[in-house]
Amino acid sequence: MDGVDKEALKKVLKTRINRQLLYYLDLCARCSICKDACHQYTITKDVLYLPAYRAELIRRIYKKYYSPLGRIFPKFYEGREIDDEKLLDELYTAAYACTGCRRCMYYCPFSIDTTWILGVAKEILNAAGRGCSILEELTNASIEKGKNIGLFRDIMLDMLKSTEEEVQKKTGDKNASIPVDKEGADILYAALAGTHTIVPAAIIFNQAKKDWTLSLFEAANYGYFLGDTARAREIADRIVNEAKRLKVKEVIITECGHAYRVMKFLYEAWAEEKLPFRVTGIVEAISDYVDDGLIKLKPGSFKDPITYHDPCQVGRNAGFFDEPRKIMKIIAEDFREMTPNREKNWCCGGGGGLVANPEMEDFRLKTGRLKTDQIKATGAAAIVSPCENCRLQLDNLNQKFGLGLEIKSLMDFVVDAMPLPGNK
Amino acid sequence: MDVFSFIAAGIMVYVAVAVFITGMAYQIVGWSRTPRSSVRLGLFPKPKSKAGRFFKVLKDSFIFPQSYAVDKAAWIFAIVFHGSLLVILLAHFRLVREFTPLVNLLGMEGMDTLSAIGGKTLGIIIIFPVLFYLLRRFISPHKDLSVAEDYFLVIILILIIAFGDHLRFFADFHVEDYREYVQSLLVFRPSYPEAIAGSDARLVLSLHVLFVNILVIYFPFSKLMHIIGTFAANKVRSD
Repeated sequence: MDGVDKEALKKVLKTRINRQLLYYLDLCARCSICKDACHQYTITKDVLYLPAYRAELIRRIYKKYYSPLGRIFPKFYEGREIDDEKLLDELYTAAYACTGCRRCMYYCPFSIDTTWILGVAKEILNAAGRGCSILEELTNASIEKGKNIGLFRDIMLDMLKSTEEEVQKKTGDKNASIPVDKEGADILYAALAGTHTIVPAAIIFNQAKKDWTLSLFEAANYGYFLGDTARAREIADRIVNEAKRLKVKEVIITECGHAYRVMKFLYEAWAEEKLPFRVTGIVEAISDYVDDGLIKLKPGSFKDPITYHDPCQVGRNAGFFDEPRKIMKIIAEDFREMTPNREKNWCCGGGGGLVANPEMEDFRLKTGRLKTDQIKATGAAAIVSPCENCRLQLDNLNQKFGLGLEIKSLMDFVVDAMPLPGNK
Repeated sequence: MDVFSFIAAGIMVYVAVAVFITGMAYQIVGWSRTPRSSVRLGLFPKPKSKAGRFFKVLKDSFIFPQSYAVDKAAWIFAIVFHGSLLVILLAHFRLVREFTPLVNLLGMEGMDTLSAIGGKTLGIIIIFPVLFYLLRRFISPHKDLSVAEDYFLVIILILIIAFGDHLRFFADFHVEDYREYVQSLLVFRPSYPEAIAGSDARLVLSLHVLFVNILVIYFPFSKLMHIIGTFAANKVRSD
């Protein structure tokens, strides 16, 4: 391979070896029980998408350099050099197709986390200059935007004026506000680009009388999808530093699966520090406000049959199964479960940055068929899912397969059920 | 003992035990000396209490019920294989010495009946999952996923079982003779007693032990480390 230092790549692998990874690389019996756990393999029947095979690609490099017998007899394990062209090509497809849903881990008898292994694969690909270029552009754009925050701050504050009016109109509360840069607030809320995740959250926080402030930075983290930990951390750092500067007690992440995973489960390990604030997902926050009577919901106010899609990063990978269902069952007159659901739920097919990558569009629509069939079987006219990625994918599936679904965020679903003057 | 038997069923046994112990220690020390990522990789829902986590690790390692849900055939064969293997291994201790409590319970005749029925039945039953393990590797997607190690291990197993079953069904020597052989190994003077040395099936025993030795030597460097690692990896699931 031209221009790529093999030793540098080997160093990337070496620094990424940890105990969990060793278990995963040493134990797999190649039993293929994971094959029917992966929606991508189930649909395509292509071995490249078989979780054990995806992991096997990294294992082949590992055996070549690290296993006592693999070093002497690499053929015995199909051992490969780290700069093997064919291997890196396969690795690219396998790693950047993975949605990170970790459903294969659920079914594996050894609980092998394929996504964890593919995280290493992405680091190697990035070091070899073979990272996904679209995700890299998005990552760099996001980092640039953060660097010029002075410029974007004014645009944002301008935009927030009309957003604030919208919130005031809906709540009938002239004092409802969207504070930014409020030092000493209890909550820092990290939203997404645009206002669609700001308006409903602002209504909820104002109605619950919470002392909150809006983050200047969007929660989304393309660096994580790209699989470049250094850049992913750089993106996450901005919210962390803002939270520290404002001395908030809690950072609430909007309905964005991977952003929550980064902040809740990955950041402390990346930064090797304990965060001085609590990280909460908005789903958990809303559930608490409902329990504490801070926000009121009109029971049975949503009449059409409606179902709930467990985003992998909210359900299986974070443990919020009952909280959203509790809210759904209060508001919906006809709540219907998909099968399978909860920790066994099928991935929508859009996670892992696939939704942001036009190259993957055909693939993710094709592999979203299981989700489509699941939704159809419920006969629901609407679907709630508290993850932006899932909703974008569901929206694409909705249009492509003519499902005629109304797709809602949990926040919007909640706000529409609140007894507000703005709700008819 | 003839030269081949002396090497395969004598000296090599000691080599195998030594390599096995060193190799296992090497791998386990290797794992424990590698820093653990502080990322909690657990899946939800997970047990809240320590005891709950402990029992979940045992359940996930011994029964892995979630695998049954997604691949029933593989799960059934895995349970049959590992269950039979465990009982067969335990039963081999009868070739070292008698299980006194069990003899008190069943009597000598009872022991022989149990051994005849149990040993023979499991010796046959275990063939099926092993054949399943071999044959599926010739079919996609397993074929595309498999490496030489997979075929090697399953072929070694088949040879061990085939020679073992031959000894069980056709050999004209019995438990007392095996005990004499095992005792000779234990005092580092490996030899076959007259009943084995003079039998046509002598070579079968030597081959059975030879392939067990090969498996035992290779064990610590293979995916078979899952016998220990499964507990550690399944614990990560509950982290």
